[in-house]
Amino acid sequence: MAEKVIPIHMIPDVESEVIEVGGQRYLQSNEAMFTFYKRTKGEFSPYFLALKERKVILGAKCPTCKLVRVPPFLLFCPECDFNPIELVEMPDTGVMNSTPPITYFGHSLFQHQVPFGRGRVILDGADTALPIHVYTTRGVLTPRVFKRGTRVKVIFRDERIGKPTDIFAVPIQEIPEHKRGVPGLQESDLDWESPVEPELPAQTKEAKKAYEWVLSQIKEMTAKVARSERAQKNLAGWKRRIHVRTPGGSLGLVIDDGKFKVEAGEIDAPDLVMVARDPGVFSDWMNFRDSLTNAIIAERLWISLNKEFITVFKLDRLPRSIKRTKE
Amino acid sequence: MRDVAIVGAGITPCKGRWVERTYYGLAQMAVKEAVADAKVSIKDVDAVVYGIYNDIFELSAIPEHPLQGIIGMANKPGMRITCGGATGSYTMMTAYTWVASGLYDIVLALGVEKATDCFDFESMTSTPEVIKTIGWSADTFYERELGWTASDSYAEVVLAYMDEYPDDLKDEASATIAEILCEQVQNNPYAQRCGEKVTAEMAMNSRYVVYPFKLLETCVYTEGAGAVIFAAADKAEAICRNAGNPVVWITGVGAANEHNVAGRDKRHKIMHRILSDHLAAEAAYKMAGIKDPLKQIQVIELHDAFIKQLQITMAEMGFVPLGRADDLVNEGLMVPGGPLLVNPSGGLTYGGHFVGGSNMFSCWSARRELINRGLERGLVHGTGSTIAQYGAVMIIERRA
Repeated sequence: MAEKVIPIHMIPDVESEVIEVGGQRYLQSNEAMFTFYKRTKGEFSPYFLALKERKVILGAKCPTCKLVRVPPFLLFCPECDFNPIELVEMPDTGVMNSTPPITYFGHSLFQHQVPFGRGRVILDGADTALPIHVYTTRGVLTPRVFKRGTRVKVIFRDERIGKPTDIFAVPIQEIPEHKRGVPGLQESDLDWESPVEPELPAQTKEAKKAYEWVLSQIKEMTAKVARSERAQKNLAGWKRRIHVRTPGGSLGLVIDDGKFKVEAGEIDAPDLVMVARDPGVFSDWMNFRDSLTNAIIAERLWISLNKEFITVFKLDRLPRSIKRTKE
Repeated sequence: MRDVAIVGAGITPCKGRWVERTYYGLAQMAVKEAVADAKVSIKDVDAVVYGIYNDIFELSAIPEHPLQGIIGMANKPGMRITCGGATGSYTMMTAYTWVASGLYDIVLALGVEKATDCFDFESMTSTPEVIKTIGWSADTFYERELGWTASDSYAEVVLAYMDEYPDDLKDEASATIAEILCEQVQNNPYAQRCGEKVTAEMAMNSRYVVYPFKLLETCVYTEGAGAVIFAAADKAEAICRNAGNPVVWITGVGAANEHNVAGRDKRHKIMHRILSDHLAAEAAYKMAGIKDPLKQIQVIELHDAFIKQLQITMAEMGFVPLGRADDLVNEGLMVPGGPLLVNPSGGLTYGGHFVGGSNMFSCWSARRELINRGLERGLVHGTGSTIAQYGAVMIIERRA
């Protein structure tokens, strides 16, 4: 079935319910405010068509003041008595205008795309910043990947429909040198499968001890998950094999449709890799002191695939679910 | 222009969800409080200006129209203002202008907002749907589809400020401000988080909403309403004499909206500045004859969507230099006993943030502090729209 403008699973049934507050009964009903559009992109059409059809970014240049605005968000230059602007083709490289925010908790339409960065790039020769998604090919996106001045290249999606999401930016240093000057580079031209794992220090007695302690704690946790319907629900319908590396040793976390297991040592065919210099991040997670999400944001935990953040969210729900389950 | 004063104000309790009230009921509650405070009849009020931010929250494209009759303003002028987070400030500015211009003698500014009727049926919680609803505020051609949110929009500005001033906005300072606001909110019985205890350590350790904003340093979602009554000088003096309230004068107003597109210079948005706040304050100070805000203003009710943004706004308004916003704490400027009383209501972080009326809530509090503490001058601030684009400032004075 084609993708719908309103995802079907978000649409509630027509029904109402009674809520009691302070001994009084109040009625509330499921409602929606929706309007469908065949919305014209009007004067912005050349920009979006150029993205979609030619893999080209257009800007708006004022022939009088020479300001170059990207994207071309106007017809006339307000600085020059509303002189008509000219559309010009822009380079696909530039710099971050400022450090971009990274969204980990998206709103209901974007929850399945997190984490993503929404930044602004000053393309070479431009005077305004292009709003754009930013990604890294080297594992999970953290607030430290992009900074003001980070040099980036704009990459085109393989499938484009003429939207701002047809393009995104990656740090140019992540792109092989022979591809940096290639115009219209697409996402499939980049290597997303070879993230660079953080290096770990050599094993020490202390590190081994810390690893073994965390392993035993996670074993206890798996037993609690087995007793918690709520926790099993968090992992229902989800299957992942996670290879966790720490300085004291490796372990495997296995999520299997509501079941949760831990294995000592290397794990076969992992779906993702987690690396923690301090296995204490797992202890903090299990004991409610901090979430795995915060550990990733603070770069105390690394995961190999950005899109696997959804697995991290599922794991983050476990301690609360276990706590809410009566022993 | 005629002199204008505030003669009455009222707010509803701030709640995360008002199951027991619609926005009609909330509006009536606030107006009832305001006219009771001024000891006037609603029949004495000549016109009303409504502050309602977001149609989707109210599920109506003309959300003010059912209010006109039920607040006793049938057959009188009424106009709705919507300016993002700064809706309340712009609404009060319009009410002020209607009186100052001589068009009307007594004007009501009424701000109201629902929010958490919005509900996400996937997660079975309100928050993702509230965020989505605010998300419709972004540029719909170039930004909304990138997942714009109010939080990440303000985070962009704060991160850019931190690029420019890497030694400012330390987490310890913003966490201390969170603790101060939480202490101050105990003085506000209408506040959403009255009775809550948050320490600097708790704020420091709370989770990130979006980096660098932490949960306990972020404004709450609130449902509620606030009403402020503005009157021309002669009427104001008579009303206040009758009510036994001091006259609180509006001596300065200012506002500015920046470009919504970031760029290299101030022909577009300079990301590391909240220039809108700077320009709004500058205009209001000029009108009020304020040369040194730190010495001449005692109470500030500042729109603290996020505490680190509060700090930048304080710098933009001239209370500390840009790049030295941590001095608010480090130099003791806004700590208890310091020269500035900032957000005695608890602010929008701990008091409440019902968007269309939040600045009325701030105005209600600033006036209350001038009267109760015998202070001379206050500042009421509103910020809003994407990347802190809008700023509005009002100076209020209680002349001895």
